Amino acid sequence: MFLFLLKRLIGLVFVLICVTFITFIMGYLAPGDPIRGLLGPHFNPITYVQLKHVYGLDLPWYQQYFNFLAHLMRFDFGLSFEVQGRAVWDILKDGVPTSLELGFWGLLIQLLIGIPMGVVSALRAGSWIDTTNMSIALVLYAIPSFVFGVLLQVVIVWLHLNAGFQWPVSGWGTPWHYSWSDIQFKLIPILVYAAIGIAFFARLTRTSTLEILRKDYIRTARAKGLIENIVIYRHALRNAMIPIITALGVSIGFLVVGAFFIENVFNISGIGYITIASVQTRDYPVIQATTVLLACAVVMGNLISDILYTVVDPRIKAA
Amino acid sequence: MDQTENQRDAAFPELAEHPELPQPYLSPPELPVSEDMLPEKGPGVARKSATPLQESLRHLRRDIRAMISLGVILFFVLLAIVGPSIYQHIGGSYQSTLNGTVGPDQYHNFAHQELDRLNEGPSAQYWLGTDSIGRDLLARLMQGVLVSILVALLVEIVDIGLGVTLGVLAGYYGGWLDQVLARFTDVMFAFPGLLFVILLAGILGDWASTALATIPIVGPNGNARLLLVSMAIAVTVWPLMARYARGQTLQLKQQQFVEAARTAGTSDISIIMRHIVPNLFSIVVVASTLNIANTIIGEAGISFLGLGVQPPGSSIGIMISNAAGLIDTYPWEILLPSLVLVIIVLAFSFLGDGLRDAFDPHSKD
Repeated sequence: MFLFLLKRLIGLVFVLICVTFITFIMGYLAPGDPIRGLLGPHFNPITYVQLKHVYGLDLPWYQQYFNFLAHLMRFDFGLSFEVQGRAVWDILKDGVPTSLELGFWGLLIQLLIGIPMGVVSALRAGSWIDTTNMSIALVLYAIPSFVFGVLLQVVIVWLHLNAGFQWPVSGWGTPWHYSWSDIQFKLIPILVYAAIGIAFFARLTRTSTLEILRKDYIRTARAKGLIENIVIYRHALRNAMIPIITALGVSIGFLVVGAFFIENVFNISGIGYITIASVQTRDYPVIQATTVLLACAVVMGNLISDILYTVVDPRIKAA
Repeated sequence: MDQTENQRDAAFPELAEHPELPQPYLSPPELPVSEDMLPEKGPGVARKSATPLQESLRHLRRDIRAMISLGVILFFVLLAIVGPSIYQHIGGSYQSTLNGTVGPDQYHNFAHQELDRLNEGPSAQYWLGTDSIGRDLLARLMQGVLVSILVALLVEIVDIGLGVTLGVLAGYYGGWLDQVLARFTDVMFAFPGLLFVILLAGILGDWASTALATIPIVGPNGNARLLLVSMAIAVTVWPLMARYARGQTLQLKQQQFVEAARTAGTSDISIIMRHIVPNLFSIVVVASTLNIANTIIGEAGISFLGLGVQPPGSSIGIMISNAAGLIDTYPWEILLPSLVLVIIVLAFSFLGDGLRDAFDPHSKD
């Protein structure tokens, strides 16, 4: 088990090193001189050299990369190219609680809705409930989140114009606060955010539960007269959860990418929104910092799902 | 490790792995064994049985959902390729208050603006109306669909080229190439692909707009970044294709006809070209059809974020983001591209599912 976790850990550290390197080298090779951009058309050459030194851009690329890594360890993402001397973290930090909140609720809701949907579908396979659930999942899976969000906004606005329905279509209230108006802001974005995950987990759970229900040990359990509930909850569902836990890592990747779209559709100032805004102003350090932060989130997600996996699947411990 | 990888494979039927993807030529009845080797057929029996490909196509033709999807896809492809040139010849010249006399070749152009004809509904002149800066919505839609198709095509060329080449080589020769490929695919699977595309488009976008616009076919009109976005998407998707090709190659390598070819002294190159690569056909077709759906969503998403096609160019994503501020007044302008996107994506998914069923011998009754 430790060997397994160690292997996974080494793999994930390797991923992080690759990500930081790709991120760094792209920023390094990016055309244009950021210091010139910062100083504007008329500048003092001495200021230019000084500033280049402050930003560490006068060093050879490998030293820049090691500085980049060393700073990352201290949670220092460098200085912005857009606002002279402003730390990147200073720009991003306001977005972090919002994005975390969005991610937390998104994940929770996909699990809380998606898994029961899949279980019900599997236990009633072929019934109208199954057909309905899987049709919903199919549609949710095919519609890109930004289209889904926009379509819901159209519906809300239409209801507002035609039925006087009051509901906000963009914005986010205070992060981690849940007054009625906060909930109004947050409900739709979170649901849209979770939609693709709901579909994903519903389909995955259905497939994996159906597979387990066909196993011999389920037939044995039923044959020896075990109560159906015990067969399902103790024997079937516990085993059916294994692939779902493995999928958690992937679903975090989904969430990370989804955040860019949801935050831009609903004007939520999380880190996805801030990053896209930085792209418009060519503030590369912000983009680099976001990529590294999000890659860490994905890697952590993978690691957590690996750990949970060893807890749920005893066969791994034996290996 | 193997145990977990198998678990993972079982876990994502529609994501990283497609365990239900066809394994077409591996079950006994479909092996390309010559007919007269089979005991029940004497040397005198000359009846030609259907090839596996013909069987699969027959199966596909019976799949109504897949055939409708194919029809929808063909319709949009025709619309995007032929549509604009026909549309630009329909209608007489028009006395514009701002641009003088303009013919349909101008006002039916996706980039042409009539600044006093904003947000109009459908009319004889503008079949689907105009957008918020007076451009023809139908022309923009056709251009947007064309962009989606072009990106999908570019991505699939790189995806199939790189993925099949490296996957076959890794599967056939094994060794260090196989190891490197395995590690690389692990990295790509652990890292969300679209994040990489966003990063690349964000950092290299400005450079692409100027540098790539000098390539003749790409040209101005804000399409230069498409090349960048396509390549970025391609980089993130080919490892999956490589993994399929590798797996299939590993299985084919152990088949008797490959062994026979090797015993007969056939060179590695011709075994690969004549026995391995043709047998990857179905898996490549299915995987790339399913991948096109994701690629089209990806391109639309990147353009929606403002990192893909630049104005005055058109893309379904750009049409959606342009109309995002008008949902209270002109919802039509946002519904139109949204619905077209959803229809195209659904069509490719359904067609991919249909192809998978058609090529998979286990689903044949």
